[in-house]
Amino acid sequence: MAEILQILILGLALGGVIALMGSGLSLVFGVMRIVNLAHPSLIIAGAYITYWAFKLLGVDPIVMLPVASVIMAAIGVLLYRLMLERQTKSAKYSEMTVLLTFALAMVVEGALGGLFTNTQRIVSPDYATDAFFIGDLFIPKGQLYAGIVSLTIIVGLTLFLKYSRLGYAIRATTQNREAAELLGVNVNFISVLAFAIGIGLAGAAGSLVSFVFSFFPAKHGEWIAMLMSVVVLGGMGSILGTVVAALFLSVIAAFVGAWIGATWSTLTFFVALFLILLVRPQGLFGEKPEMA
Amino acid sequence: MSELLQVTNITAGYGDGPAILDGAHLTVEPGKVHCIIGPNGAGKSTLMKAICGMLTIRKGDVIFKGKRLNGMRPDQILREGICFVPQERALFPKMTVRENLRMGGFILNDQKELERRIDGILERFPILRERADQHAGTMSGGQQQTLAMARTLIIKPAIVMLDEPSLGLAPKVIQEMFDIMKMMSAEGVTVLLVEQNALMGLKNSDWGVVLDLGRTLFEGPAEMILSDPRIQELYLGGKKAA
Repeated sequence: MAEILQILILGLALGGVIALMGSGLSLVFGVMRIVNLAHPSLIIAGAYITYWAFKLLGVDPIVMLPVASVIMAAIGVLLYRLMLERQTKSAKYSEMTVLLTFALAMVVEGALGGLFTNTQRIVSPDYATDAFFIGDLFIPKGQLYAGIVSLTIIVGLTLFLKYSRLGYAIRATTQNREAAELLGVNVNFISVLAFAIGIGLAGAAGSLVSFVFSFFPAKHGEWIAMLMSVVVLGGMGSILGTVVAALFLSVIAAFVGAWIGATWSTLTFFVALFLILLVRPQGLFGEKPEMA
Repeated sequence: MSELLQVTNITAGYGDGPAILDGAHLTVEPGKVHCIIGPNGAGKSTLMKAICGMLTIRKGDVIFKGKRLNGMRPDQILREGICFVPQERALFPKMTVRENLRMGGFILNDQKELERRIDGILERFPILRERADQHAGTMSGGQQQTLAMARTLIIKPAIVMLDEPSLGLAPKVIQEMFDIMKMMSAEGVTVLLVEQNALMGLKNSDWGVVLDLGRTLFEGPAEMILSDPRIQELYLGGKKAA
């Protein structure tokens, strides 16, 4: 029983971080219908910002989180303006944005590799290697803090989307872009804002990831499959779905890792993605896709 | 005639595609119900989309209260006082009725005034009050259309454009939609209507516009159009107006 509880705790703590990693991807898809394949590479960029701030200036990763978020959000605005805005009227919008964000992921990987090499990095504040002990159970402080901060950010995001005027506009644009425009929402501004928030969330996730997982520029290839499975299971565009799916799959992966073998743990996400697309492509909270 | 909206020989189409409208004109008088009729593909919906800024006008002018609207975005045109309800009703299915109404007043800055107006709408439309906390996507077609039409009243617009409000509704419910439209008109809201059921649309309107192949063929009092044998033959299925 203690073992099951232990695995559950570890799975949930990691699930919180993965939920934050996926929430930006989900938000951007929901509002703009962009499958941002560069999202994990931008998380890694956020992790590098945090890494260097820690290494050079000794800034704690959690303290660095808002700074990394703002820097990445600003980069998000630039990327949108330079790369995606001109595609909004394209007849091949979906295809173009997939190709562009894939290319962006490659560029970011190449740039980070060129600047910082492909050496594995991890930020090591004191709490990252410490743990709380409750009887036979241990809770790694780093994962616990990251999980709590992640879920706090997601709750904040949810409250913002639910109650603020801009949140209403974002939700409305997600559900019916044309209707939102007809009711006075400047959907272009909302798209920029949503993309900036999405990439800002990537920056925040990067700060937390920096002391939870080791990272290097090419790591995004593994993470995109993991995040896609979370976002697809949750229902593309649903933040709540992303959180539920991240917690669920992380717990499953933790059990697989503990009972079958650590190398099989990551495979949980890939198998889940495959099965979801076969059985319930709209995910838990998404809309059923229209049949051709 | 003191026109509220004047559309003069406009040309418009989708993207870089061919022109759907080519020589469409329209005169809208304040406080009246105007019905645009014409066969499928005539450009009726396209005309409304061009007026509300969803399509770029390539030639011609749209003048509202003396101001040229060409090149303005839909949100800017809405702020001028022109509201458009497209065929698919443009609701937010995962928002409640109250949230949909709140979105109807998105351009209002005074939130207290917005809540007061929402309460006013819920008072006038009991079916919406009963379902204020229900997601719009779970309501019947008639209830959704009622919500879409009621939502336009939040900003007290000068013109409401309705694109086929009767589409997919049962005959009894259709009459309710026309009753709401008449109520809007009685309150001084000018209504511009596109209706596939041309006979019913004209019977509930003051003014008629016949559009075909992207151009306006005829404009005049609805009664005159209903009694014109040529128009009856070509656009009203040969039926005489009762």
